[in-house]
Amino acid sequence: MIVSTDWLSEYVRVSAPVEELVERLALSGLNHESTTVVGDDTAIEIEVTSNRPDCLGHIGVARELSVLFNRPLLVPTPRPLESGGRAADSVAIEITDPSMCPFYSARVIRGVRVGKSPSWLVKRLATVGVASVNNIVDITNYVMLECGQPLHAFDLACVRGGKIIVRPALAGEVFEAINHRRYELDPRMCVIADAEHPIALAGVMGGADSEISETTVDVLLESGQFAPLAVRTAARSLVLASGSSFRFERSPDPHAVEWASLKAASLIMELAGGRLEHGAATAGTLVTHATTVALAVDRVSEVLGVEIPWERQQSTLTSLGFTEQTEGADDEISLWHVPSWRRDVTREIDLVEEVGRIVGYDLIPENATISARPVADSPQQEIARLVTDVLIATGCCEAMTRSVVDDTLDGLGSPWTNAAALTISPPLVRGADRLRRSLLPSLLEARGHNLAVAAPHGDLFEIARGYLPERDLPSEPRFVSGVVAGEFSVAKGILETLFQRLGIDATGLTGPPPRVAYRPASHALFASGRSADVMLSLPGRPARRVAVLGEIAPAVLEHFNLTNPVAAFELRLDAIESVSSESRPVNRPSEFPPVERDLNLIVDEDVPWASIASAIDEASGGLLERLSLTQVWRDDGRIGPGRKSMVVSLSLRSREATLSGDDVKTVIDAILEACSGRCGASLRS
Amino acid sequence: MDLESFVLEVSRLREEAENAFRDVRDAASLEEARVTFAGAKSGKLKSIQKLLGGVSPSDRPEAGRAFNEVKQAITALLEDAHDRLAEATASPAAAPLDVTLPGRPVRLGRLHPITRTIREVQGIMARLGFECVDGPEVEDQWHNFEALAIPPEHPARDPLDNFYLNVAQGQDPLLLRSQTSTVQIRVMEARKPPLRIVSLGRVYRPDTADATHYPMFHQVEGLLVEKGTTMAHLKSVLRLFASSFLGGDVHVRFRPSFFPFTEPSVEVDMEWGGRWVEMGGAGMVDPAVLAAVGYDPDQVSGFAFGLGVERIAARRYGVADIRDFYRNDVRFLEQFG
Repeated sequence: MIVSTDWLSEYVRVSAPVEELVERLALSGLNHESTTVVGDDTAIEIEVTSNRPDCLGHIGVARELSVLFNRPLLVPTPRPLESGGRAADSVAIEITDPSMCPFYSARVIRGVRVGKSPSWLVKRLATVGVASVNNIVDITNYVMLECGQPLHAFDLACVRGGKIIVRPALAGEVFEAINHRRYELDPRMCVIADAEHPIALAGVMGGADSEISETTVDVLLESGQFAPLAVRTAARSLVLASGSSFRFERSPDPHAVEWASLKAASLIMELAGGRLEHGAATAGTLVTHATTVALAVDRVSEVLGVEIPWERQQSTLTSLGFTEQTEGADDEISLWHVPSWRRDVTREIDLVEEVGRIVGYDLIPENATISARPVADSPQQEIARLVTDVLIATGCCEAMTRSVVDDTLDGLGSPWTNAAALTISPPLVRGADRLRRSLLPSLLEARGHNLAVAAPHGDLFEIARGYLPERDLPSEPRFVSGVVAGEFSVAKGILETLFQRLGIDATGLTGPPPRVAYRPASHALFASGRSADVMLSLPGRPARRVAVLGEIAPAVLEHFNLTNPVAAFELRLDAIESVSSESRPVNRPSEFPPVERDLNLIVDEDVPWASIASAIDEASGGLLERLSLTQVWRDDGRIGPGRKSMVVSLSLRSREATLSGDDVKTVIDAILEACSGRCGASLRS
Repeated sequence: MDLESFVLEVSRLREEAENAFRDVRDAASLEEARVTFAGAKSGKLKSIQKLLGGVSPSDRPEAGRAFNEVKQAITALLEDAHDRLAEATASPAAAPLDVTLPGRPVRLGRLHPITRTIREVQGIMARLGFECVDGPEVEDQWHNFEALAIPPEHPARDPLDNFYLNVAQGQDPLLLRSQTSTVQIRVMEARKPPLRIVSLGRVYRPDTADATHYPMFHQVEGLLVEKGTTMAHLKSVLRLFASSFLGGDVHVRFRPSFFPFTEPSVEVDMEWGGRWVEMGGAGMVDPAVLAAVGYDPDQVSGFAFGLGVERIAARRYGVADIRDFYRNDVRFLEQFG
């Protein structure tokens, strides 16, 4: 809303400089946007919140100033002279759907001279950014900007059949607005029709064929009440917002309907001549909201936390236009009648806010004490912190990508579901309307960006929700996902480190849970034969898939112009939250020395490492401290085709004693026997 | 002396000797180390040999083995150190160390600046007794609107102002949450006052992306519901927050505003860099909201406030275009500790 200081001074005299004026307005609820000098006038742009339609007119803003600066508010009552016939005989009004238009009034001014507006009017409109059209149209705009009630003037000669019918638009009905564009309407919108067809889109814009022109002699002046929803629907769906629709969406003061009509009628006669017929043609019932609100005398201090003298509260409310009622009130409870322009005030708390905003929130102390309370991190916070710590140490940067992706990214698939992605409207950004089912495509895209701009690297991770379609609400598991340069083992090494840090046995051995196992998998994002599912076992629960990892498929790499191999992982954090919150016992380190041994085992190609590792682990009688695979090699000549050599390095240590040579021999023999029996392994000497 | 203690002594000696010989840099320090460990009269090796007599006869073979091992090790260390010195003296210029050569790099990743900011806010609020809560991003009408006193005809519910899910006809409309107050409603529905929580996370509003807007952003919202809560508590908590977050004794200012779920509602300004900077919205929880979650507005009151994380992160780090937060360019990300 733009106000003119010159115009405001018509209703309230404030001698303070403009800077102080805008500051006081801002600190009482009308935010300052800008101040512009326009000739000898000043335009102030203020932000009016949607609950304050009374400040969408100069009188409302002047009322605020009169309260803030303790100056009288001067609002004249228009009393135009009526003569000739009755408006109700000139035009008949009908409202078919009162939910769209509760009340409609029309005045008739005959014999006007349409022409230029006087310079004072042109100037005032110019200050607030409204172009002059002609005296009649300018007057309707002026009065709207004065009191907040939109008006419309029709050329009475173009209102066919002497009839105004306010009704829902017909489906597909076409309407040409005064901007000379044609709009297709629907029944959610309200139109003003004459005996034949719509002549205005109610509360939004007039029609081209009934507008005021140089040939207009008789004017029909509309002032009505239109329902916010119908107005908003029309303005939004036709992209046809106007000063009128903006105000009707916020419900102007019902008493301004009559005031505005009389004010415009008297201005028309003053500036364009003509005679005003008696009364107004009306239909419907004006919706008012005479409300009385109770305010407990100590309520303001209970909410604001500062004592404000009762007399101060009374004078504040009174100057804002509230009237105190004595009947029904007592020493503790006061009763206040709410002025017609403040339909936002319906409850005690609203009155508290009125007092607070005018008296000033600066009075509220900022040294109140609050009690201390214990707070612990949630398991989600704890896990996120552990995970980010580990991933940052591996050299990955944390990324943040959009939750909603386009069909190309979504089309790369999800390791978690085959159900089609949920879609939204409108799209988040152009083309992106699918709630992502995996973070990996977005991270690959970000990696591609880094490669394209020759960034130092593109190793990224992200913690965010995925959206997996289910019958009702989608499930929204939190994922940690990462993309890193390299092969399968790089991603696996990171995941193993993460699991170990979270207290989950990541060796793939069959120790006590919580532990994970890895099994070959096939997912569209990953190269064939180069990915795995990670199964988590928790005590007393069946194993559950919690992560995927692998090497990104060549076609996917190509899609993002990624030239080097990329490994990736995606882990469901929600699945491991219960693990890390459990406390784990601490083992005292053994005081005895370890014994290191290397074994070169020859096995068939299809024997997986996990079975050799578990054979060794289970045969070691609890003495196995560390097990690593140092080398895998194949040599048809030396060990035969279809076989591989796995060089294993292990470390044995007892918690009870130093292992003797005999002890070690017994364990190694048992290990070799298990490897041979379970995996067909032979020792290469 | 028992075997275990003896073996322990031996291994300590070995470790000590390894450290000492590694630090040998010249002939003098070599001689010093030799005397200390292998001196014929009072060397440490000699001293530990004397302890051998105190070990019980049955353990003595094992102890003897341990002693012999450490003796051999120390002899080897002495020889190594000798050789090393000889080599260095023979060819002093063979491989001089250029201490200005670059070290072997260790690449560290970085936390995203938004995450850093969120954690900072969480940390401050935790010290004030607010616990962190989380909730779904796809929400229903009740939690995103109705319980927050936003009725069906309210403009905030317009399809053009929200990201509604395309659900089957007849199904209740769902949308991406437009504020994290939804989580506060969920927590209030499940728990009774007193309550101090911070909800945070991604929220979604159809703004065209530009330097100061993005259709997806992060919000931090605090909620306190306790008997006798006033706006003075709100102001005081925000002042403590501002002072912790910005450093120093920071004042806050309230400007009246309008939000459906708080009354009175205010915009919160904090004094930052010598001027008032808008930090977010706040207010007393509207009695209608308290009633919607089954609290008695006559018994408890509360306050709520919300901050836009991108906005305060952009200001704190001097980021001119918030879209940079979502470009994930490593050159940008690596600038944040």
